[in-house]
Amino acid sequence: MTIAEPHSLPSASRPLLSQRGRGVVVAWAFIVPALAFYAAFVLVPIGMSVYYSLLRWDGIGKAQFKGLSNYLVVLSESDFLQILGNAFQLAIYFTLIPILIGLGVASAIRNHLSGAFGTTARTILFIPQVIPLVAAGIAWTWMFASNGVVNQALNLIGLGGITRGWLGDFDFALPAVGIIGAWVLLGLCTMLLVTGIARIDPSLYEAAKLDGASAWSEFRWITLPGLRQEIGVCVTVTVIAALASFDIVYIATGGGPGIQTTVPGLEIYRLAFAHRQVGLASALAVVLMVLVIVCVLPIQWLTRQPK
Amino acid sequence: MNVPNTAKLTLLAAALMSATAGAAYAAPSCGTGPVVLNSYFETGFPLPTELSKEFTKQFPNVTFNIKEDQFATLMENSPRVLAGDNAPDLIRLPSISDLVKDGLLKNLDQDATDLGWDKYPPAQLAQNRVADGGSPRGEGSLYAMGLNYSMTGIFYNKALAAKIGMTKPPETVAELEDLMAKAKAAGIPPIIIWNKPVVGLTFPLQNLMGSYGDPGAVNDWIFQRKGADIDTPTNLTATQHLEQWIKAGYFQDDINSVDYATANGRFHDGDGLFLFNGDWESGNLDKVMAGNVGFFLMPPAIAGGKHAAMSAPLTYGIGANAKNADCAAFFLNWVGTNAEARKIDVAIGGSNPGGPVDLAMPAVTAGSVTEETLAAGTTIAKDNGAMDFIANATGAIYAEAWTPELQKMVGGRQDAAGLLKSVQAEYVKELSR
Amino acid sequence: MTDAAIAAPTAARRERLPLPLGTIGARTILVGLMIVTLMPFVTMFSAALAPSGTYPPGLQWPTDPQWQNFIDAFNAAHMDRLLLSSTIIALGVVPISVLIGTMAGFGVAKLAPRGSKLVYLLFVLGLTLPFEGIITPLYYEVRAMGLLNTKLAIILPLIGLFMPFSVYWMRAHFVNVPDEMSEAAQIDGASAWQQFWLVQVPIARPAILSLAILQFLWTWNQFLLPIVLVEIPLERTMAGALGAFQGQWGTNIPLLCAGSLIIIAPTVILFLLFQRQFVAALLQGAVKG
Repeated sequence: MTIAEPHSLPSASRPLLSQRGRGVVVAWAFIVPALAFYAAFVLVPIGMSVYYSLLRWDGIGKAQFKGLSNYLVVLSESDFLQILGNAFQLAIYFTLIPILIGLGVASAIRNHLSGAFGTTARTILFIPQVIPLVAAGIAWTWMFASNGVVNQALNLIGLGGITRGWLGDFDFALPAVGIIGAWVLLGLCTMLLVTGIARIDPSLYEAAKLDGASAWSEFRWITLPGLRQEIGVCVTVTVIAALASFDIVYIATGGGPGIQTTVPGLEIYRLAFAHRQVGLASALAVVLMVLVIVCVLPIQWLTRQPK
Repeated sequence: MNVPNTAKLTLLAAALMSATAGAAYAAPSCGTGPVVLNSYFETGFPLPTELSKEFTKQFPNVTFNIKEDQFATLMENSPRVLAGDNAPDLIRLPSISDLVKDGLLKNLDQDATDLGWDKYPPAQLAQNRVADGGSPRGEGSLYAMGLNYSMTGIFYNKALAAKIGMTKPPETVAELEDLMAKAKAAGIPPIIIWNKPVVGLTFPLQNLMGSYGDPGAVNDWIFQRKGADIDTPTNLTATQHLEQWIKAGYFQDDINSVDYATANGRFHDGDGLFLFNGDWESGNLDKVMAGNVGFFLMPPAIAGGKHAAMSAPLTYGIGANAKNADCAAFFLNWVGTNAEARKIDVAIGGSNPGGPVDLAMPAVTAGSVTEETLAAGTTIAKDNGAMDFIANATGAIYAEAWTPELQKMVGGRQDAAGLLKSVQAEYVKELSR
Repeated sequence: MTDAAIAAPTAARRERLPLPLGTIGARTILVGLMIVTLMPFVTMFSAALAPSGTYPPGLQWPTDPQWQNFIDAFNAAHMDRLLLSSTIIALGVVPISVLIGTMAGFGVAKLAPRGSKLVYLLFVLGLTLPFEGIITPLYYEVRAMGLLNTKLAIILPLIGLFMPFSVYWMRAHFVNVPDEMSEAAQIDGASAWQQFWLVQVPIARPAILSLAILQFLWTWNQFLLPIVLVEIPLERTMAGALGAFQGQWGTNIPLLCAGSLIIIAPTVILFLLFQRQFVAALLQGAVKG
């Protein structure tokens, strides 16, 4: 740290800092390295994304300024609208499945995830969180294959009639991708909710029991409000995971059949690097970045009220 | 050093002269120093890797650094990889027009002259020629070479064929459809095909287009000739036939989730009667289904009509910024002319090795399916029925039009007329860029 | 669910705390979830033991298990070089990212020079950024720096991309450290730098450890950056290499499954060894992120 020895600083020229000048410089010295990396590899690229989005450019030759026309395409062409819609539909699966199951488990085992069983359960349920999403995609492609476990299980319970190649089916491919994401997020959400429910004052439940409250009203009036913040966290994490999904889709379906499972991240990658339409890709990228913020802020705001 | 200055100068001059002479007059070679050819091949096809092994055996100073991807990924990656800092010396190319337009492929005209590729039948090289500016294809400078020259048709499982009383290959589309109906009635899946991540239905579709229409018109469209349109009455008839096949259940209903390798595995296991595929599978089929597999060309619409087939070079190019372009060109030349390479080409690749007209075709086992496919190649040449691949018309047409639209047709969400309209619309959109 | 719900009151009397469902019912659900969680790995394992190049059914113990597939996959994936490459990349990212993130978190929380609030807000805005949003310009930027196809092409951008979370995370820790501590240190005449290292970092250890674990995982499992910025699979992180492995061997199910299991093994083993720390980090990471 060269700034740790700032005796040469002309303190007279900075009257305001005369007392704390050294402190201010040192303080910024702590912040600047992080800011520099952030600026170089995030802020500048964001700016460039916005700039590219106004161009027609193949990434090699000369670029043409096109104004907002790329945004017009992204926000009006039916294929792009479907791709954006796919992301939101995925968000529903990514969010609802883990949270509903998590809530069920949390209310069922409330506070009783201790001992060897608890540790084992926690460990196993967390494994999907530590493996790459690519691995989840590969594993589940195999699960959903025509001769995979899912169809095997259906045959076993006498539902052989509905077996199919799930990831290639127009009606089921997107839900199937949703299940892959839900599988990844399930353990995290469950554990968050289980940890959260343990923090709820047990006397509340005691009181409800004495009042003869039903299991449902207990859940509705004690558990749900008590878990408000944790649910907020789960929704935030899962919604971001869905809107920014790339790895799973890239591996499991490649966006097909048709464009049934194509998500913005995949389309950006294809447009920019395979089809050399950097402008269009960047417009979609900007729309995606804005969408994520627009979706996450209200969730944060709704669930962050003081207790 | 006590060498007189003049002597030093003379030495230097001599060295310079030989260096420049080498650059100007010698044909491309791999030299004698160590060379590592940066190669990007297609997953699931052992031919290029086998050729590279043989090449290293003959030229030990040359080794290959091979990266492989499946066709869909390869299509997606090729522009970026070729534009990057580590452009491949050898790359399997799905479609070359856009890459030429972007200046990403090395112009091989000089190599062709130096290496004597003018002795090859001109038709062999035509598909890899592109006019200035990226279109049309089929004329202009040479930008790629075929490792061999393949062709598509229909393989059939002989045991299953016997079961439904098929004694000889069908002579018309109607006869073919009749056989498929019989197979379906007998509980045998009539056609094995894959339809992801890129569709295989382009093979039967293009075969049908060749049966009902003029292969030349299809080529015009693929080569981006002015005014070409895929949405023609004969192509509509062809597409309607394909749609009927789907509706009649001639394909297995999960094909949208079946990839190339899985589909071929199914055919090997005897899960279906016909496999629409190319002769690059002949070598392998002779191994895994020896004696139980036959091949015929897509029959014409009317008996006695001409045959047509998708027939394209197994295209390999050299990056415009490739570091070992000369050695790569030498390799491409070696593949077409070296006896051992040509043998591998046929035995592993199953296709016609091409090369200069005066070179003999390597011997093949009598009665093998490889023999049948090579013979079929003669028929196509006689009928002038060779078409390039409809998926190679532009860089993105396969991923952005054929694949989603044909997958939709399988899912019952697109009809024949709509499919051709969508594909043509995407084609026009891409050419307008 | 209903049976268990009816059984609940009886169970509740026996337990210290009232339980809406019997412990057995709850455990049954959890066991079910555990089976669902493990099933994909089990089916990959059974497929990995089938003869190379075949299409085994989803779940079936093979009559003649082909353990050789794991050795073949290990060699085909160049697992030794992959481990080295991933480790180098993780070592390039995590220490620097954690260090400068901790410094900035401390600076924003404790030193708080004027204008730092705004800078902090700028960091927070980056918390939700999808990497896909900036991958295109990042490619051209890294190419202009001449770093394409090098490990630095992954390392440098990742440090930048991790900054929002690092700063946010460490600030959240430092604002909860009582001010008296630093004030006491100031009276002793310690410079900010000394105070940071001698007073703050030692008490921040748990937060720093969690941050390091999370960033290690995120680096190791990063997929998009390696596939776009580094063509050479052996210069990538594990996830990027797994993508390449799938590209090359995806048509051979047993080999693909064996390879995938081998490639994910290092993190899973690490996780099992340090599961307490990992779980704590992931849970807190979610809450604060």
